[in-house]
Amino acid sequence: MLKHLFKLIWKRKKMNFLMMFEIFFSFLILFAVWTLGIYNYQNYARPSGLETDNVWVAFFDFNAPNDTIKAEYKELVRQQLTRYRAVHSFAFTSTNAPFTFSSMNNNVDYNKKTTMSEVMRVEPDFPKVMNMKVSEGRWFNETDKAGNYRPIVITRHLKEELFGNESAIGKTLGNGDGANSNDPKMKVVGVVDYFKHKDDFQKLSNCIFQPSDIWDDTMVMKVQEGSGAELEAQISKEVARLGKDWSIEIQQMDNMKSNRNNLVLVPVLILLIVCSFLVFNVALGLFGVLFQTISRRKQEIGVRRAMGATQGAILWHFIGETAVIATFGLILGVFFAVQFPLLNVFDVEAGVYLLGILMAVISVYVLVSICAFYPSRQASVMQPAIVLHEE
Amino acid sequence: MIHLKNIEKVYRTATVETVALNNINLSVEKGEFVSIMGPSGCGKSTLLNIIGLLDEPSKGKVEIGGKYTNGLPDSQLAHFRNQTLGFIFQSFHLINDLPVLDNVELPLLYRKVSSSERRRLASEALEKVGLSNRMKHYPNQLSGGQKQRVAIARAIVGQPQIILADEPTGNLDSNMGNEIMDILTTLNQRDKATIIMVTHDENMAKRTHRLIRLFDGSQVS
Repeated sequence: MLKHLFKLIWKRKKMNFLMMFEIFFSFLILFAVWTLGIYNYQNYARPSGLETDNVWVAFFDFNAPNDTIKAEYKELVRQQLTRYRAVHSFAFTSTNAPFTFSSMNNNVDYNKKTTMSEVMRVEPDFPKVMNMKVSEGRWFNETDKAGNYRPIVITRHLKEELFGNESAIGKTLGNGDGANSNDPKMKVVGVVDYFKHKDDFQKLSNCIFQPSDIWDDTMVMKVQEGSGAELEAQISKEVARLGKDWSIEIQQMDNMKSNRNNLVLVPVLILLIVCSFLVFNVALGLFGVLFQTISRRKQEIGVRRAMGATQGAILWHFIGETAVIATFGLILGVFFAVQFPLLNVFDVEAGVYLLGILMAVISVYVLVSICAFYPSRQASVMQPAIVLHEE
Repeated sequence: MIHLKNIEKVYRTATVETVALNNINLSVEKGEFVSIMGPSGCGKSTLLNIIGLLDEPSKGKVEIGGKYTNGLPDSQLAHFRNQTLGFIFQSFHLINDLPVLDNVELPLLYRKVSSSERRRLASEALEKVGLSNRMKHYPNQLSGGQKQRVAIARAIVGQPQIILADEPTGNLDSNMGNEIMDILTTLNQRDKATIIMVTHDENMAKRTHRLIRLFDGSQVS
């Protein structure tokens, strides 16, 4: 039967080409949507490695003339904040605190392997504020100050990139090309499994946490559940009063994360709407072409029925024909789609592309079956006695 | 072989009721070659469609090969058509997108016959109608007579007991018409096929065993 379908399709190849092209086009759209969806979902499904509930981010501008005064100002802030029972913990960080629009990258190397990593300077209480768990080793603390190295905690992604399956604890990293030779070496004291600091859809990435410096004037703080604008206003007012020309801006980390998530979600949503519209149009086109094809082939349907085809055989004949044409369109589409994992386009895992291809193939077959079903059903219930006598 | 009892066929629309067949009683014995004649619109093709299980009578019973076919489900009717009946149409009704051999194979496609067996049986049927040299041609490369011979090959490929021919010579000149009649006569005499043929041509009808005349949906002789 398949050979029979191939012959019919081949003979009508000019007519079927349009349908094949529509299916090819639909496949590419669906492949893009599925791949993007799967990529983002897989990233979203991974733990974030941190908690943003009741975490606030404070951006200070101390307007300090030098570092010594700035250190004094920061100490004043610490003393002030410890007085608030509603503030459970806090830590100064570099400006690239989680979910800010700031980023700091640096090259790091180990054993002739060099890679780029986000570098975040944080105070030892940072994991407490963010409820982060160290999976290997420990977080750096005050005792590390005695060593002639810079203690760092790294993400598992960076650990695997530089050390593979070896333990990273105790190993030292170079500061990459162009680093000052006087800079102390970075020594790994701990590893965290996950750390999504850009948005919930961030892929596994490299990040290094190292002790905070004097000039870091961004702060994360964990506050009591239910704390709101009143506490925010109180802290802003009282902390600002501590120094001349100080300013402080407090934002809730949940809101910051939500804003960052929207930057990913909105384009995906727009793409989804545009693609749905395109696929809907393709489906309408397919539906129309199939109806026209079937109305042109009424006599053939009558002959087949006279020769012993059941209604079901007619139904499956036309669905089968459409499925074969869809398969040709898909073969062409898959040929283009597999180039993405082969050429490692956009640095996305091959598995995501392959799953995207699979889902797009299934979607096209479902779409084609839905579009083909009604016209094919109409064909199957045609009265052979009538269609055989139509001109 | 074929027994029609009190067959009536009425076409109804919202406003009009048209009686196509009225109280037809007909028996055709195995191996008979029967022709049906009558003016246009008298119900010849309707009668043939009812015998061929392509249409259902409004009233009456159809018995073919000892089996009543009224009310049989679609799958059984299709099976019956496939196994027992062969159709020849005035306008050939060949599938233009398939080569001759594939056209002839069509009834076997619905019998789950292997591809090689289909090929063999179709080649044999084409040989019987003298078209074994046209197997790979497409219908639009054939003359009217050749097309009808392909249609005959398609009708006999499954060795049905009954062949139903709806004006098989209607679109052909007299020479080609005679050729087709020769083939049908041979099938009847040599293969003992029961043939019911609708025709407008008295000369063709004379070559059959029995002539049934219809007028305004009723059997007049």
